[in-house]
Amino acid sequence: MSDAQIQVCHLNKQFDGKVILNDVNLKVMPGESHIVIGLSGSGKSVLLKCILGLLQADSGQVLVDGEDWNCLNQTEQLKRMRCIGMVFQGAALFDSLPVWENVSFVLRQQGMQKKEARERAEEVLEKVGLSNICDKMPAELSGGMAKRVGLARAICHRPKIIFYDEPLSGLDPVMSDVITHLMRQLHEEMQVTSLTIAHNMKLVRDFGDQVSMLYQGRIHLQTPASELDLQDDPIFRQFIEGRANGPLDINNQHRQGSL
Amino acid sequence: MISWLEAIGMRVERVCLQTGIYPMLLLQVIQRLYRPPWFFSHILSQCEKVGVQSLPVVLLTAVFTGMVLALQSWVGFHRFGAESMVSTVVSLSMVRELGPVLVGLMVAGRVGASFAAELGTMRVSEQIDALWTLSTDPLRYLVIPRIIAVTLMMPLLVILADAIGIFGGYLVSTIVLDQNPQVYIERATLFLELQDLYSGLLKALVFGGIIGLVGCTEGYYCKGGAQGVGQATTRAVVLSAMSILISDYFLTIWIFQ
Repeated sequence: MSDAQIQVCHLNKQFDGKVILNDVNLKVMPGESHIVIGLSGSGKSVLLKCILGLLQADSGQVLVDGEDWNCLNQTEQLKRMRCIGMVFQGAALFDSLPVWENVSFVLRQQGMQKKEARERAEEVLEKVGLSNICDKMPAELSGGMAKRVGLARAICHRPKIIFYDEPLSGLDPVMSDVITHLMRQLHEEMQVTSLTIAHNMKLVRDFGDQVSMLYQGRIHLQTPASELDLQDDPIFRQFIEGRANGPLDINNQHRQGSL
Repeated sequence: MISWLEAIGMRVERVCLQTGIYPMLLLQVIQRLYRPPWFFSHILSQCEKVGVQSLPVVLLTAVFTGMVLALQSWVGFHRFGAESMVSTVVSLSMVRELGPVLVGLMVAGRVGASFAAELGTMRVSEQIDALWTLSTDPLRYLVIPRIIAVTLMMPLLVILADAIGIFGGYLVSTIVLDQNPQVYIERATLFLELQDLYSGLLKALVFGGIIGLVGCTEGYYCKGGAQGVGQATTRAVVLSAMSILISDYFLTIWIFQ
């Protein structure tokens, strides 16, 4: 029995004959900030969706706190979702709800009164550096604000695990830095486990404890974030240095047929 | 030989996958109907969107249909001196056939398209995935209220459309064709039976279910960004309209028997 909070075992996923995930194994320990890096189209988001049950894996296990989420029925899966928070790449705020209702969505679904839920939403929004925007609609927010509202929504119900799907995509360097610091601060304050999908190396260095590289459907390499620069794997080095020339197979991320 | 068979097999598989999503979604909806939560407030707000907001389009369509029907049937009946039967034709046609079908087509265009576009946009912008991660079943929260609302609102819209259509015929008959208002009202109800009304309402109920199911399915399983949403919306309207016309024929046969 492993003591990992999230454990992915022999996960496989194909789309129309294209192998996206090929026997992926991953462990995320409690309280750890684990970052999965990889080229665009390498299957990072698919891996995240398989873990969350948004996509059904072809085979393999996803154990969260030792429980296989793939074996649960939908009702049980939804119950387990209460212990997680998810920050989407594009924030994925509900267009039809004002900011405070977006943030306190889970609490309202759990039956919390409007006044109390709004107060909690204001408190969490304050925590992510946003105040007086409770009654704004998502369409009125800038990209950075939407990301922070997304973060507030993910933490409002005090989850044990937070998933981030490319949290800095589409943000300017200053806002990226603000969000990175916020993520680090929340991670430490709330003592949560984090699993982040990213290809921003600054985020990896500032926020990650452990880093795994997904390449050609497999976890190519796993290393502590503090030892990133000590790795001499040429594929990994090319990726973290952001070089166009090297052994990385940039054009053929997904392989046809079975591997 | 094998590649030829493979091509056929792949095409059959694609057709099955494309058509299979409708019964699959229907089955999932039925499974969830028996257990809470039911999101009553969402059902009510959808009823308002589907019913109240569709009224102008539906009533305008009905009144002009009734007016045209009165004019056209008068031309025919005038040839053998049976002008007093105009109101009978208007009322029977509206109640049995034109009311449910025209309202169905209008609602398919307005509501079915909006269901597909709304849910499709939510799908491609990951809002449906977000619902799941916020421990809320997207089918219960988004799909079931919409299907229930359109299924319940269709018969009510049809009743109003029938009444307004007959009133449209009344206006043309009395003002343009100079018929006796008393005769119009008398003949409009004389040959109308309760079964005519029931058959129209049954059709409305079925058409409502079709519009809800097709619109929601297209949106819920939408893929591929803005283009995908556009295609889903178009498919929702076309498939709903076709399904309404086809099912209308079979329902009419069944009601006749």
